[in-house]
Order: sequence, then structure tokens, then C-alpha cells
Amino acid sequence: MAKKEDIVVGRRLKTSIVSAVVSVTLVLYVLGLLGLTILHARKLSDHVKENIGFSVIMHDNAKPAEISILQKYIDGMSGIKSTEFISKEKAASDLTRDLGEDFVAFLGYNPLFPSIEVRFNAAFTHPDSLSNFSEIIEKERIVKEVYYQRSLVEMVNDNVTKIGAVLLIFSGLLLVIAFALINNTIRLSVFSKRFLIKSMQLVGATQGFIRKPFVIKSISQGLIGSCVSIASLIATLYGAQKQIPELIEFQDINMLMSLFVIVILLGIIISWISTFFAVRKYLNIKSDNLYFY
Amino acid sequence: MALDTIIELEGAAVFQKDHLILSDVTLHIERGEFCYLIGRTGSGKSSLLKILYADLSLKDGFAKVAGYKLNGIKNNQIPFLRRKIGIVFQDFQLLNDRNVRDNLIFVMKATGWRDKIAMDRRIEDVLEKVGLVTKGFKMPHQLSGGEQQRVVIARALINDPDIILADEPTGNLDPETSEGIMELMIEISKTGRAILMATHDYSLFEKFPARIIRCEDGKVFDLNPDYYSNKATQE
Repeated sequence: MAKKEDIVVGRRLKTSIVSAVVSVTLVLYVLGLLGLTILHARKLSDHVKENIGFSVIMHDNAKPAEISILQKYIDGMSGIKSTEFISKEKAASDLTRDLGEDFVAFLGYNPLFPSIEVRFNAAFTHPDSLSNFSEIIEKERIVKEVYYQRSLVEMVNDNVTKIGAVLLIFSGLLLVIAFALINNTIRLSVFSKRFLIKSMQLVGATQGFIRKPFVIKSISQGLIGSCVSIASLIATLYGAQKQIPELIEFQDINMLMSLFVIVILLGIIISWISTFFAVRKYLNIKSDNLYFY
Repeated sequence: MALDTIIELEGAAVFQKDHLILSDVTLHIERGEFCYLIGRTGSGKSSLLKILYADLSLKDGFAKVAGYKLNGIKNNQIPFLRRKIGIVFQDFQLLNDRNVRDNLIFVMKATGWRDKIAMDRRIEDVLEKVGLVTKGFKMPHQLSGGEQQRVVIARALINDPDIILADEPTGNLDPETSEGIMELMIEISKTGRAILMATHDYSLFEKFPARIIRCEDGKVFDLNPDYYSNKATQE
């Protein structure tokens, strides 16, 4: 009977350690979730930017060899992701498909021009870079005009900057909250041991010797917490992919790995720093002052 | 100052926060000397002991204990001072989260013991001296007050310190055990250790006569060793 009672009491005491780990886990999970959102948002904005339509329209009389030279020239420029030549005929057949009507037969001639579709790297899609690029290309003799939606580019860039700033502020705030919550949990657990720390000091243990087991314990709690939160993040990601299969296109395994490493490091470093300072506080208090807290 | 003086206080003032407890304390204790420290409750005995192990800081006067000057002693030196002193605390100061053996092991590891066999041997040795060989695996809360006090004594002895400061070490003990502990203390003092023992048990003075230091009215002074036995005879 007594044995059973001991087990129950033991379990109750252990739950306080578990709840410390749980709070670390939850905080890191939310932080990791925000990290995942940022990574996906970045990929999404890159995806949009890289698909901005940019057409270099050629004169009708441009020779295929000239067009091929221009295409190679554009390919060789910095910031270019890909180029695709669309001949007069292909443009017509694309438009016919889109319209559902054979406009060439109706008009009696093909009014479209051959063009080169250019796709830029995300980093190059700044409105200024694009207008510079179009100025250079427009000087070419065979180029009739350069066409792109200037306002769309500006809007995309503007929104990405705004969303990025909001996410950055939010993650900074969350980092402070994470630190405050984990710090608070650890300080409470060290506070409950303040008399133990004082007794250890009175029998001649150095500060480092007393601090060591506290730090080791909290680092391992931080490590467990961050591992559990990473497992939950992976589960969340898996669940999200089931709902939105397109998500997988935006995933970069290296990015995810670095995010997980950051979560682990945060778990360890925050626990470490908090414990260090919490224990130091009680190490530097004279025994009589312990009763004033 | 004699070469063998291990506790030296000159004009020291003992404060509890801003409250002056004892003033102008001058006290010399030699190696191998056994001293009683007496005085009413609240007369400053414990505070005087706390000054000696640097739990209270010395604000005025001069003090040197086991080679460490206490005036402005640095925090990182205090652990090394305390390793020279075995302290029997009035409120025990046992580590309540671990058993008796682990309490002793903590002190040993903290003070640089590494050899497990030697540690075990030493633990057996001190537990035997205080009569607790069979209680090594008990948690402090499972022991009686007297047993806990004996664990504290065992812990104070474990590093074979130069000085033993004992704050009412026989306060919770039955007369028989108390006598055993006193004999142990006297024996230790004969091996060259200085012992300063705060007590209210005046019956000890007759059985184990020694130097008596008294705290009274904010002062500390030496009493004639025969003071209490003479008083008893007169009465």
C-alpha cells in the first residue's frame, strides 16, 4: 500500500519536470511554426517573382539567326533564369487555343510578332533592374518593344517587403516571449532550490560545481523540448501537405534542416543562459537574505 | 600572534544587516584548542560563527581564519576557506533531495575527492564515528532530529578540517549520544584541530572542562574555566 503511495507521490513530483519540458516544447513549437511560415512565404514570393511575364517582342523581319544571337545574349546576362523563343506561328496557335477561335483565318493574316519570353531570378525582379534591362534590350535593332506589367512588379515587391517586415517584427517579438517564458519556468524551478544551493555553498562547493548539475539538467530539458517540438513541426508539415499537396513545391530540405538546427540551438541556449543567471542570483545572496524572497 | 593561532579576531564588529550584534571582538584560538561558546539565545553566538565561515561579511576590525583574511574576502575564495572548516549547523543544512551517503559524497566531490574506493572507506569511517553506519541510504527527512545532527557532524568531519565550528551540536541528542559526540570532539581536538562549540548545555563543562568564551551585552570575553564548577559548588 505504502509502495503504491510512494509511486503516486513520485509521479506527482515528476510532473513538475514534465511541465517544464512541455512549456519549453510549446514555445519552441510556435517559434518553429513561424519559421516555417517565413520559409514558405519566401519561397512563395520567389515563385511569384520568377513567373512575372516579361516579353521581348521582335520585328516581323527579324531573321532566326539574329533572334538566336539575341536569345543567347540575354541568356548570358546576369539575373536571368530562363528564356524561351516563341515564334510567330506558336504565338498564333497559343492565342487561337486561348480564344477558341481561329483568328488567323478570320483576319486572313497573322498579326502577331515573334518574341522571347524572359524569366528572371527572384533577386533580380526589382522594378529598377527590370527597367534597366528593358532599356538595354530595346536598343537592339531587331527588338520592336519590351513588354511587362510594371505595376504588377511594383505591387509584388511592395507587398513582399511589407509582409517580410511584419513577419520579422512578429518573429522578434515571439523570440522575446519565448525567452521570457522559458526563463520564467527555469527561474521558478531554481527558486524552489534556493536553500539547497545555499547549503551546497556552506559546505565549501565552488559556484561552478554547484551550477554544473543545474545547467546540465536544463540543457537536457531544452534539448528534449526542442526535439519534441521538431517532431511536432514535422507532423504539422506532413498534415499540411495532405491538405495542400502544392506545398511540397515550396519546400527546401536544406532550409528545413537549418530551421530545425536553429530550434535546437535556441532550446539549448535559452535554457542555458536562463539557468546560469538564475543560479548565479542565489549564489550571490547571503543566506539571511534568502528569506526575504 | 602565536604561530599556531588558527582563528584570530581583532576589534571585529559583527553585524546582522545594519544591526550591531557584537562589537570589538578580540579572540584567538590555537590549533588543538577546544573552546565552548556560550551566551543567551540571541546574544550573537551564531552570528560570530557565521563571521568565521564568511556567511556574514566583516564590516569592521580584522579577522583571519585558517590563513584566510576575512576583510573583503572575495566570493571565489570563500569555498576554499570553508573547506578548512567543518561546520555543524544549528539548522543542519543537509541536502534534502538526496540520502545520507549522497550528502557526504556531494561534499567530497565538491572538495576534490575522485577515488571511489577511498570515498567509500571514508564515508564508512565517519558514519561509524557518529553511529550511523546502517542509515547511509536514508533520506534526511526519514531521520530523527538527533540522527540528522549526527549526519551533519559526520559531514563536518569528512575532510578532516583544521577547524570545527559547531553550533549546538548536542542540542537534539540524548545524554548518552551527546557524551559520545563530546568524546569524539575532544579526541579530534587532540589531533591538532581547533574546535569552537556553541552550547547551552552547562553540564558538559564539568565533564569535559575547557576554555569558555561568553557572548554577553554585545561583547565577547573569556571566562575562567572553573567559573561554572565553582558556582555549582557554592550553590
